[in-house]
Amino acid sequence: MGYLLSLLEGVRWQDLVDIVINSYIIFRLYIIFRGTNAFRVLIGIALLWFFQRLALFLGLIVTSWAIQAITAVAAIIIIVVFRNEIRSVLQAKNLKSILWGFPQKNILTPLEVVVESAFDLAQKNIGALLVFPAKEDLKEVIQSGVIWDGVVSREMILSIFFRDNPVHDGAAIIKGDRITEVGTLLPLSHRKDIPSNFGTRHRAALGLSENSDALVIIVSEEKGSVLVAKMGVIKTVRRKEDLLYLLEQHTGIAQKPLEFYKQEKFEISVMAVLSVLLVISIWLSFFKGMETLIALQTPIDYINRDPRVEILDTSVNSVSLNLSGSGPLIKSIRPEQVLVRIDLRDAVVGENRFAITRENISLPPGIKLKNVYPQSVEVTLDSPTKKAFPIQIDWAGKLAPHLRIVSVKLDPETIELIGRNRVLSQVSTVYTEKIYLDKINQSGTATVGLSIRPPSLKTAAGTKDKVTVIFEVESRIPK
Amino acid sequence: MTTRCKPVILIFLFLCINFAGSPSGFSQPKKNVKPPPDPNRIALEYAVVCESIKDFAPQNEAVVFSMSIKRVNCFTFFEPVTETTFIYHDWYFHDKLTARVKLTLKAPSWKTYSTIQLRESDKGPWRIEITDPQGRLFKVLRFSIVD
Repeated sequence: MGYLLSLLEGVRWQDLVDIVINSYIIFRLYIIFRGTNAFRVLIGIALLWFFQRLALFLGLIVTSWAIQAITAVAAIIIIVVFRNEIRSVLQAKNLKSILWGFPQKNILTPLEVVVESAFDLAQKNIGALLVFPAKEDLKEVIQSGVIWDGVVSREMILSIFFRDNPVHDGAAIIKGDRITEVGTLLPLSHRKDIPSNFGTRHRAALGLSENSDALVIIVSEEKGSVLVAKMGVIKTVRRKEDLLYLLEQHTGIAQKPLEFYKQEKFEISVMAVLSVLLVISIWLSFFKGMETLIALQTPIDYINRDPRVEILDTSVNSVSLNLSGSGPLIKSIRPEQVLVRIDLRDAVVGENRFAITRENISLPPGIKLKNVYPQSVEVTLDSPTKKAFPIQIDWAGKLAPHLRIVSVKLDPETIELIGRNRVLSQVSTVYTEKIYLDKINQSGTATVGLSIRPPSLKTAAGTKDKVTVIFEVESRIPK
Repeated sequence: MTTRCKPVILIFLFLCINFAGSPSGFSQPKKNVKPPPDPNRIALEYAVVCESIKDFAPQNEAVVFSMSIKRVNCFTFFEPVTETTFIYHDWYFHDKLTARVKLTLKAPSWKTYSTIQLRESDKGPWRIEITDPQGRLFKVLRFSIVD
């Protein structure tokens, strides 16, 4: 129970979407391809894949490798061998029926009408060939005749095989309640053991039954008898009940129609559930079977900082996160999905210490935090303030040896700077740019700029950035 | 004998002042110094930076000094001084404290000075802060050492 809860805990909404989409895809493949040989082979491939995963799980490396190779080859073979069947299935359905069209109820062939018609034709000595395809596609076996697409009725069948009808020599294909094609040519059987009284019509019926799973009703023109050919066996049917029974067995509707529909609904429902279960098991094998650990170095984001304060210093700029999760999820992590946020809303000017906990860390769904290093960060905040500093002249060069500068006056004598407290506390004097002494030979004034260090400091609004220097020079030589 | 010895002692002390500076004064052994003084009992009459000291008086006060003079002096005169105490001459080069010279003051008034010897690397802006042991700032003197 605990394991189940831990599984559910890590389920993301993306996983649910994943499961729904893939279950639907599998379900649709079943709906589209059911009843075809390609579907049966697909089932075989699915079983191969299952055994390959099982072999991998059990550590049977060579077996797993061999099954994987067989599966890959089989997939290619399917496409090549069943290309026509696949094509016919896909061509026969429009996009809507492929994507979401629910299978319509199979239209049942009115077997009683067919039986009555066959015996009517026999009584009138009119030859006929009625083909009832099963699951296999007949396009590869028969030669197409004339598209008919008429509803099955006794009159229709009689008229098709009426002697003056141009298509009476061929076979009529009956699918559901419709005669889809008439005048089709069936492959002739080459067997030697066929009774001599069997004509071309019998050979054609036998040929088709040998090459497909179709059932063919033959109405003999000469004898006025009804025969049925299936699976390479041809036999005479004397009673209508027998023919009806054979047709019911062939079409699979021996049961009552209502029960048939119920069974089909049940089959589809079971398949829908199986699709979901299959995808869930695949999802579990992918996402829960391979727990992976990684260490991710992630930068720290500081949020909700008071705009009046600035971050002066931090003990670390990034943290190392130990994350766990399934391999595919871990591999799909993008850097922007992992965020470490420190809320500075309650921070004060000065040093602040913040613990880095799960609440500070944003992770993608399905990823768990195992550990974080360091587990706390120190943040020093500072706020810009204003402070006045004395100005000092930075003399340079060489003064004439007979002169000396005895006094200096500055205008202004101080300057106000704006900057962070910590920076301001490290400054005690603002120096002027260098004033060179080489050309000074008497008292005078000079205007000079200020050399403000560090550059992060700014002069306060309304403060002059130039200083007027009034200097007094005296000669060492007595007058 | 006492009169002859005093200038010799002064010269000896003067020569001993090096880059780190050393205290100097015009008198007295250091015994019986009483910390801490009452700030109101001493007052700075004047303070100057000069090229030399002669006859207990500063010579060639200036704000710019050439390396060629070899040394620079900070001369201070306190009056009144009600009891024996001491003050500091803190020498800063580019805002960095490079020498702290402790100087004794005695009643009723006292002249005293400190000196630094100049090196090639000392060129640039200097300031001297004159403080008492409690950190009370009497005056800041600013000057530059040039070529």
